Amino acid sequence: MTPSESASWDVERLLGDALRPIDPPERLSGRVEDTLSAVTQAAAEELSSWAEELSESELRALRDPRNWVRPVFAVGAGGAAAGALVMLELRRRGRQQAKGGLRSLTGRVRP
Amino acid sequence: MSNEENVEPASLDPEAKAELDAAFEDLYRAHLRDVYSYAYYRVGNAHDAEDLTEQAFLQAYRHFDRARRESDGRPLRPWLIRIAHNLASNYYRDRSRRPQTSLENADPIVARHGTEAIAEGREELRQVIENLDRLPDDRREALIMRFALGMDNREIARAMGRSDGATKVLIHRAIKQLQEEMGRDPE
Repeated sequence: MTPSESASWDVERLLGDALRPIDPPERLSGRVEDTLSAVTQAAAEELSSWAEELSESELRALRDPRNWVRPVFAVGAGGAAAGALVMLELRRRGRQQAKGGLRSLTGRVRP
Repeated sequence: MSNEENVEPASLDPEAKAELDAAFEDLYRAHLRDVYSYAYYRVGNAHDAEDLTEQAFLQAYRHFDRARRESDGRPLRPWLIRIAHNLASNYYRDRSRRPQTSLENADPIVARHGTEAIAEGREELRQVIENLDRLPDDRREALIMRFALGMDNREIARAMGRSDGATKVLIHRAIKQLQEEMGRDPE
């Protein structure tokens, strides 16, 4: 080993000592998890309430991919859960509409 | 990165979401210490390092699906550290802050290295940290990744957005410069 290499090794040893990994404080782990949960839930709730407010014509328009900007933004803000909520709301409305349609039909049919 | 890039049909499936969350949790548990260590050595104090770590994981969560698809199975640690790296750069740019080096306060050194190590080589540690802080940003960051996080050249290259060769040269020059600076310092 040349003197230069020996000196270089010393610097690396010192760097290894000086730059040891640092354990994060315990509170940080809980804090990050809480924040992630809160962000996901907030976005999901916002999207859920927004979906509840939609009229039937708006829901129909939402099925057109050209109108997907708003849900796409919400998905970006809140993750996939928010996107899933849009789909669930669409499906729920779809089921209700189907039931309502049948009820309205049976209501009109008189014996 | 735009929000649209993170959306794909699979992300709308609750099962895929659950699987994605589980994978993210694994990533988070595996690399919380890496991100925190990197943040700490970049900003120089625990309070801001915690904020930066939290922000890094929030950003990572938002883009995790896409990053995983594009990683082709490669480890995501460099991607995670790159997020922390960019946030740390913004931290200084936006707030016009200077890094608060650990030299400004002896306590963090004691907390990190223990009293025994301090007693043996406190002056040496001070000297190397002081010289490290004087290095150009890219050299200092590469050394933090190498020594605090144990990343290899390829990982560092991915985290810094450089080629493997350029990264090898960067680290070599960083160590050489540090060695020269240490040689100049009075004992």
